[in-house]
Formats: sequence, C-alpha cells, structure tokens
Amino acid sequence: MIIEISHFFTILATGLFLLSGIFAVSIKNTEYVSNLISRTYTHAFLFLLISFSLYVWLAATDNFSVLYIASHSNSDLPIFYKISSIWSAHEGSMFLWIVFLALWGYLFNFNITQANPIKSLAIGIMSLIIVGFLLFLLLTSNPFQTILPIPPSNGADINPVLQDPALVIHPPTLYLGYVGFGIPFACALAFLIRGNTEIEWELMVQKWSVVAWIFLTIGITLGSWWAYYELGWGGYWFWDPVENVALMPWLAATAFIHSLSVSIKSKRLRVWTLLLSILVFSLSLFGAFIVRSGIIDSVHSFANDPERGLYLLGFISVIIITSLVLFVIRFSKIQSMIRIKRFSKESFISINNIFFGVLVFSVMLGVIYPLIYEYLFNQKISVGAPFYTAIFSPIVLVACIFLIFSIDSKWSREFKFNLMNLPIIFSTTLSIFITFVFIFLYEIDDIYINLLIFVGFLIIFRYIFEIYKLISAKKYINPFSAMAHMALGLLLISISLNSVLSSERAMSIKIDETESYKDLTIYFQNINLSEAYNYDSIEADLLVQTTNGESFLLSPEKRRYFTRGQITTETAIHASLLRDIYMTIGDQLDDGSWVVNIQINYLIRWIWFSAILMCMAGIMLIFSKKRLRR
Amino acid sequence: MKLLFKFFILITPILFLFMFYLLLTEDNSYPGADYDTQNFPIFELETLSGKKIVNTNINDKALLLNVWASWCITCRVEHSYLMYLNKQGIPILGLNYKDEKEDAINWLKKYGNPYKDNIHDYKGSLALDLGVTGAPETFLIINGQVVAHYQGEVNETIWNDVFLPIIDEKRIF
Repeated sequence: MIIEISHFFTILATGLFLLSGIFAVSIKNTEYVSNLISRTYTHAFLFLLISFSLYVWLAATDNFSVLYIASHSNSDLPIFYKISSIWSAHEGSMFLWIVFLALWGYLFNFNITQANPIKSLAIGIMSLIIVGFLLFLLLTSNPFQTILPIPPSNGADINPVLQDPALVIHPPTLYLGYVGFGIPFACALAFLIRGNTEIEWELMVQKWSVVAWIFLTIGITLGSWWAYYELGWGGYWFWDPVENVALMPWLAATAFIHSLSVSIKSKRLRVWTLLLSILVFSLSLFGAFIVRSGIIDSVHSFANDPERGLYLLGFISVIIITSLVLFVIRFSKIQSMIRIKRFSKESFISINNIFFGVLVFSVMLGVIYPLIYEYLFNQKISVGAPFYTAIFSPIVLVACIFLIFSIDSKWSREFKFNLMNLPIIFSTTLSIFITFVFIFLYEIDDIYINLLIFVGFLIIFRYIFEIYKLISAKKYINPFSAMAHMALGLLLISISLNSVLSSERAMSIKIDETESYKDLTIYFQNINLSEAYNYDSIEADLLVQTTNGESFLLSPEKRRYFTRGQITTETAIHASLLRDIYMTIGDQLDDGSWVVNIQINYLIRWIWFSAILMCMAGIMLIFSKKRLRR
Repeated sequence: MKLLFKFFILITPILFLFMFYLLLTEDNSYPGADYDTQNFPIFELETLSGKKIVNTNINDKALLLNVWASWCITCRVEHSYLMYLNKQGIPILGLNYKDEKEDAINWLKKYGNPYKDNIHDYKGSLALDLGVTGAPETFLIINGQVVAHYQGEVNETIWNDVFLPIIDEKRIF
C-alpha cells in the first residue's frame, strides 16, 4: 500500500514539475507568474520528498514486496545498510539522483529573491530537466515495481563490497556534486534565453558552483579511499572508466569556477564561463549515461538495458544541443570586445581554461577510444595509466608553471616580471635544493617526476611568501586561492613520490615461517576461521617488524558471504604519517602456504589530505562574507 | 573565424552523441548476451525427482536451459515469463543451481512449474563448466551445442532480441 502511495506521489510531482516548467517557458514573466512558478516548484519538490521518504521507510522496515528492495536488501542487515541499499543499484540510485537535483533547485528557489530577472526561468529549466529524468525513472527503471501476491520472505542482500561505511556516503556525496551543477547550468541557459548581458548570472551561481565542486571533490576522494581499502585495489586511482567520468566534470568544474571568478570580477571570459557551465553539466549527465547504459564494463556499471541507454542519450542530446544552439545564437552579444591584457590575471586564467579543456578532452578520448576500437575492429583493448600519465604529466607541469607566474600578476593590468626579487629567488633555490635531495636520496631518474616535485615545492613556497606578505605588510592576497593551490602543490609532491617510492610483492608463506621484504620482517603467526552473521571468514595474523624496532600485527581477511556466495578480500593496513603497509591475503597453495600480497604505499594519505585541503579552501570561501555578495 | 568556432562548438558534441548512438544500437549491445558456440559439457547428475540424468539425454533436441534457484529473487521475477514460454510450447529444462532440493521443490509447488525437468546441481559443477556466474542465466541448446547464452532475467524484450533471431534462423521450435 505504502509503495503505491510513494509511486503516486512521484507521478504527482512529475506533473507539477512539468507545470512549473511550462509556466516558466511559455507565459510572460510577471510577478504573479513567477510566484506561481516558485510555489509550484516547492510543492512538486515536497511531493517528491514525501515519496522518497516513504521509500526509505519501506527499505528500513524490510518491505520485500517491493521488487527493488527485495533484490538489494536483506533483513539481517543493520539499518544504515538497509537504507544505503537504495543507492546500491540502478533504479534506487537514479531516484536519489533526481531527489538531489530537485533539492538543489528547491534551495535555490528558497534562497534567491523573487525580483531576480532570471530566477523563474532558471527554476523552470530545472523543472524540465527533472521531468525528463523522472520520466526516465518511471518508464524505464521503475523502483516501485512489486512482487505480489506472495512476496519473498527475505531479500537477496546488498552486494557485500557495498557493505561499507564509505559506501553509505560516497554515492550521495558524488551525486550532490554532479547535480549541483544543474543550478549554474539552468542559470546560464536562462541568461542565454533572456539575452540581456546586464544580468549578472555569474555572481548568482558562484556560491552554488563552489558547493557543488566541494561535494564532487569529496565524493571522488571517498571513492578513491573506498577502492583502496575495501575493494583491495591497493592504490588511489586506476583510470577506471567510471572514475574517469567523474574526473571529467571535476576538471571542467575546476576550470569553470576559475573562469567564473574572472567573469564576476571584470566581466571578461564570459563566453568561456558560459561554455564551461554547459560543459560541466553535460559531462555530469554524460557520466550518468555511461554508468547506466551498460556501454562499458566496470565495477561501477549497473545492470543494463539498451532501452535505458537510448532514452538517456536522447534526453541528454536534447539538453546539450539546445544549450549549444542558444550559445551560438547569443555568441556575438556576449562576446566582450575588450581585449584581455597580456600577463594579467585574466590572461592566466584563460590559459588555465585551455589546459583544463585539453585534459578533459584527453580523458574523454581515453574513455571512448576502446569503445570505438571495439566497434570497428571487434577487439577489446584497454587504455590505462601509461596513456594518462603521458598526457597528464607534461600538461599539468606546464599549467603549474603558468600558475607560479600568475601568483604575482594583477587583475586587468599588464604585468612586468621582475625575476630578481628576493622571495622568487629564495623559494626557487629552496625548491631546487629539496628536489635534488630527493633525487639523490631515492635515486629518482624520471625527469617528469623530478620536475613535478620541484614545481610542487615551488608552488608551496611561493604561497608561503605571499601569506607572509599578507601578515607582515598587509598586502591583500586571496587566502582561498592560496590554500587550494598549496594543496595542489602538496598533491603533486605526494603523487610523484608515491609513484616512485611505493612497491609491492606477492609472497607465499606458511604458518610459523618468517619472510622479509625491504625493511620489514613478516612472521606468519596464525590463521583463524570464524563466522559472522552473514559471512564466514579466513583471517591471517601476520606480525610485522620494521628494522627500527616497530612491530605490529596485520590481519588480512577473506570473506565468503552466504546470500550470494561472493568472496571479498578485507585488507589490513598499518598507516603511519609517511607510508602505509598494506596487506591482502590470497589463496592457499597446494603445499599449505598462503599467498600474501604486501604493498608499501608512500604518502598515499597525503594525496587524500591534499584533496581535503582543497575542499577546505572551498568551504572557507563559501563561509567568507567578503568575497560573495548575494 | 567566428563562424568556424560556432560550427566547431555545435558539430563536435553532435558527432560524439551520434557515435554513442551507433555504439548503443550495435547488434550485440546486450552485454549479458553471447553467441559463442560450444559443446554442452559432459555431466552426470540427478534430477530434482531423483532420476539420473547425463548429457546424452539432451543431445538430439532443441531446448532452453534455464539456471535458477529458490534463493534467487530475479528468478522469481523471471518465472512468470518462463511459464508463458512453456505455454507457447518451448521446452525448458531447469538447472537448479546451488539450492536445497526441498526448497527447490517447494518453490515449484508454490509458484508453478514451467520446466519439463530439473537438473539438481547442488555443488554448481555443471554450472561451472557452462560458465554460469549466477542465477538466472539462460542457454539455447541445439543438438547438444550451446548456441546462445544470456546472463540475467529473460523477459519479452530479451526473448525477442536475443533468442528469437537465432530461433528463426535455425528454424527450431
């Protein structure tokens, strides 16, 4: 019964969203109409929220007459996994995705004054996008389907690799990021439709864009962390196609918020900003398409059905082509006739846009090249780390060199470089010195790695001097930019050192035997068999000793889950400031020994820390009153 | 120059989208389906009713082999379509996969039996030889040869798109 009510409310919400969209696009924008749109939207959202809440309630109370819940949940699960099972597969996660999209629209509707000239239109555009996705949900991926009259007594269980706290929050955070860019997109479109260049849509959306960017960054970082410790992948990034479709909007979004600040400050790069806002949201939608159409195989891809793919592709095409046609029509009007001054801040950011554009394009190429190749030659190939490293290293390096030069540049003014000033000489010398220390200490012979380490340190030192100037001479610098860019420096250093210092080895070892690897001595103490409520497990106890006297117990584990018979590996990690000792256990060999894989991962935590630091910079920007007018 | 830029901005995404359209509508875009021909593996098992069954028992016929289990929720969903296929005169052999015999028999009693017989593969050994990764999966077998294999729920769309073309081509059933 409840499921029918939930279903009904979603249908009702679809109708109301459609109404709000039609009002906004077809009726003249008077005060009465814009109030009407705003109210219709609010009610539509509330209906959708009620529907979703009922659905959560059904999942929490084990209502297995709902097909989706029966297929993805189980009465033995703790309550938060019952709820998170909603976003463990296609239908439910799509539902959540739409609710989040509508939620952003609701907050936007609530926050922006009625007098704003493009608000109603933007809400209308949001509504129409939501309608498109709700129809997709209802017509091709209905989560409200029931198994009646005789429901199963228990559910099929959530996939065990998804029974993890990180996975309770990873998808929602990521979705909040993806769909958050719906707001800047809707505003950009509304701006293009109105065609009035006086409207400052960029200022309206800055806060929203940064918040969405923060969610996207946290979502990606959580995913990276989850793959590391739960999936047992043993690294932080694998260029998996679905990681890539999250990275593309992130890269585009990063360029977008840079470009946005220029458009707000000096009304330049407006064309870039518009184009990027369209690109970011298109890439977010493209991500949904890639994951949900079954066009690629990946750990993330959902059960697939070509009909869904075609619907999504069709709908996304409509959105992308409409917005680009509008963009082309209005192009001449928005284009600024004022030339950007050489070596001004604007010029550096426009170069930055180009670099990011190239990165997005190359990731896109890496994702689709195997698909095209398979289509044409019927052979499977995969594009992996070497391709991306080859492209990313030089581009990121050059982009960072531009970044370093941009630190001293000024808004709207030409800038004369004075390389002979003390901070520059000092920080450069220091960075070169540290880089050489690393080179000799660890015998690093990769030129890109050396340069990236150098550039990373240089960025950090340059900003440290800037901050010093801020404190001592009261010279204004942008603290958020300083923090985010220092985090970037740290990220470059951590990634570079991680790639050259980390190592791994698979060894076969018997109980009571001792093996050594690098500075570690590993003693295989014991093996335990045990049983938990929904799996049985084999757990090995290995005592690890380092040469400087530290010792600790690592217990990697293998689990077999009852309901699906799936086998998962639970990693054992000893984390310290500089490195992780990371262990997984494999199969038992015929001679009774066990395969144990050991990895030493240097600075891997610093990589995630850098990402968090970038987010912190964003969060501070959101809460600072000075930079953001509403 | 400006015109070229506008053209480029519009044409690039259209090309991309068109390419995805081609990829999606490609014939074998059913990811769960494959059409590799292989001989049916040699096996010797019991049926749910306790009779001995070996691979030669299914050698000279065309039939559908459906992997199912009473613990499998999707099988429950698929079940009504199998009942329909059975009514249409399609012979379906069940492969009861990693299931307790009693549970399986009860399940069939409760929901109805679309199968002409059921191989009881408690350890999943035959399923392993067939390359089964889970339930439900469905095989089309002609003269002791697997000619089509689908992983996942068979419904009207899948039946029409994955199995019917081959059935029409080989003029069976």
